[in-house]
Amino acid sequence: MQLQIDFLSHSNRLRHLPSEQKLLFSAVLFCLSTAAPAAFQILIGIWISVWIVGYAKIPAAVYLKLLAIPMVFLLLSLPALILGFSWTSNLESIRTDILWGFSSGNVFIYCSLKGLQQSSFLLIRSLVLSSCAFFLLLTIPFTDIIRSLRKYGCPVLITELLTLMYRFIYVLTDTAGQLLIAQQVRVGYRNWKTGIRSIGIVTSQLLLQTFTNYRMISLGLNSRGYTGEVKVWSLSRSKSQPRYTIEAIVGSLLIAIGIGCSYGCK
Amino acid sequence: MQLVSGARMAASNLVDFEEVSYLYPGAAVPAVQNLSLNIRQNQRYALIGRNGCGKTTFFHLINGLYKPQKGVIRWKENPLKYDRRSLNQLRQQIGLVFQNPEHQLVATTVEEDISYGLCNLGLPESEIASKVQQALLDFDLSDLADAPVNFLSLGQKKRISIADVMVLQPQLILLDEPGAYLDPHQVRNFQKILISIQKKGSTIVLSSHDLDFVEAWADWVFVMDEGRVVLEGSPGTVFSETEKLNELGLGLPLIYDLMNSRSDLDGNPANLNPFNEFRQRIRDRFWSGEKS
Repeated sequence: MQLQIDFLSHSNRLRHLPSEQKLLFSAVLFCLSTAAPAAFQILIGIWISVWIVGYAKIPAAVYLKLLAIPMVFLLLSLPALILGFSWTSNLESIRTDILWGFSSGNVFIYCSLKGLQQSSFLLIRSLVLSSCAFFLLLTIPFTDIIRSLRKYGCPVLITELLTLMYRFIYVLTDTAGQLLIAQQVRVGYRNWKTGIRSIGIVTSQLLLQTFTNYRMISLGLNSRGYTGEVKVWSLSRSKSQPRYTIEAIVGSLLIAIGIGCSYGCK
Repeated sequence: MQLVSGARMAASNLVDFEEVSYLYPGAAVPAVQNLSLNIRQNQRYALIGRNGCGKTTFFHLINGLYKPQKGVIRWKENPLKYDRRSLNQLRQQIGLVFQNPEHQLVATTVEEDISYGLCNLGLPESEIASKVQQALLDFDLSDLADAPVNFLSLGQKKRISIADVMVLQPQLILLDEPGAYLDPHQVRNFQKILISIQKKGSTIVLSSHDLDFVEAWADWVFVMDEGRVVLEGSPGTVFSETEKLNELGLGLPLIYDLMNSRSDLDGNPANLNPFNEFRQRIRDRFWSGEKS
């Protein structure tokens, strides 16, 4: 998935909008989502999904798969929020909170109304905030994020580390891919037993080959006069499009006003 | 036959190896042993030899990436110094293209990677921009300028790695198997660039298994085996050593194979004239940039 995200971030329709504008837009929606009531959160979620799937032309299936990742973690934590336990003698104090329940001996196990409300609120907020983060990942290439970080004075150490890590992710995945193919062509995954053995070999070989690659890349850096900083030049190709800028500003303002009004009404 | 490098000593030597040996940590046999040779300015050198004969180690030694355990390496008659500052100065003058381009690419997009060495030289931005644009054109990379290097094929990466070094116009260019991963069209294109770079005054040392190319291109050929130079000379001299080259498992360029296959020639120089003429025509065509 890492590689697919990277590919899409380079090929999406919003690729050439200025990275700074996309970063700002995402940050504004992120902040509004944290402050907004549930109805507005859903609105923000729908709107950002339109940007991702409609404007950037990211395949909906990929976007949904990405959203499913945080959902899995969230669903795992839901039982702890929804289920409640009480002694049968204390039943009166929690009566208003019980949606459904049953007793087992002296213990009463129930589904909490408050817990359900909390978890649904948490679910919506997590999905919307994840969508804002995916908007960044899917529409801004990692290279542009690093470039923006450099431009706005992020410490060199951090940008260097990010650049090298990004490079190594590919070296690592390429190495793993080659090893897996080499095993597959020699029927390394014929059955469960050979598969486990092959995976073990890949893991150990990956470590060794990564060290070899690391050593060679270090030599490559040195041979090109590495001075402790990867200084590069690139031509700026980003171009602002008024249609998107206006929609982003007007939409964000309307949502902010709506949130303000909803709190004022209370 | 073995010509001694010392006989070619000249004031314009760029690199001198004197009895240089290098042993990789943990290895039983030195990758390079008692190697002595000179590289003169504005010449074209080819290094041939079987895999594992020490060609890559030789390149890494010239570039100061490895420090020899024995012997001296001189750059313009001064022994190499291995402190960071001296090495950085050295590497501004010596460009090395690795055999595997994956080991050489450091930036995230193609134009950024080409600009990396230029930025290290501290050139003004306008000059960097024009040199990068020119390199993109020369190496047919303009369409990929903004593409992430991770998405490219090995052949494309190889072209970038060559452009990375060529753009700097170093005094000495070391090319480790430059034809590896390139298709025939790209090889021809690269050879044309090689000719134009050399005409601008750079000295080029390359390793190659393509003996026809070596025969047509090189001024001087080094034959390496087990970390030593076992034969050197002009292509005509080296490729006349049929027995020695066959013993080393290297074979011969096609034109020499043809000459040797004609038993009726009886070694009579007059009989060889058509072959020599043909050989010269191949070289002329190569240098006119028509075909490799």
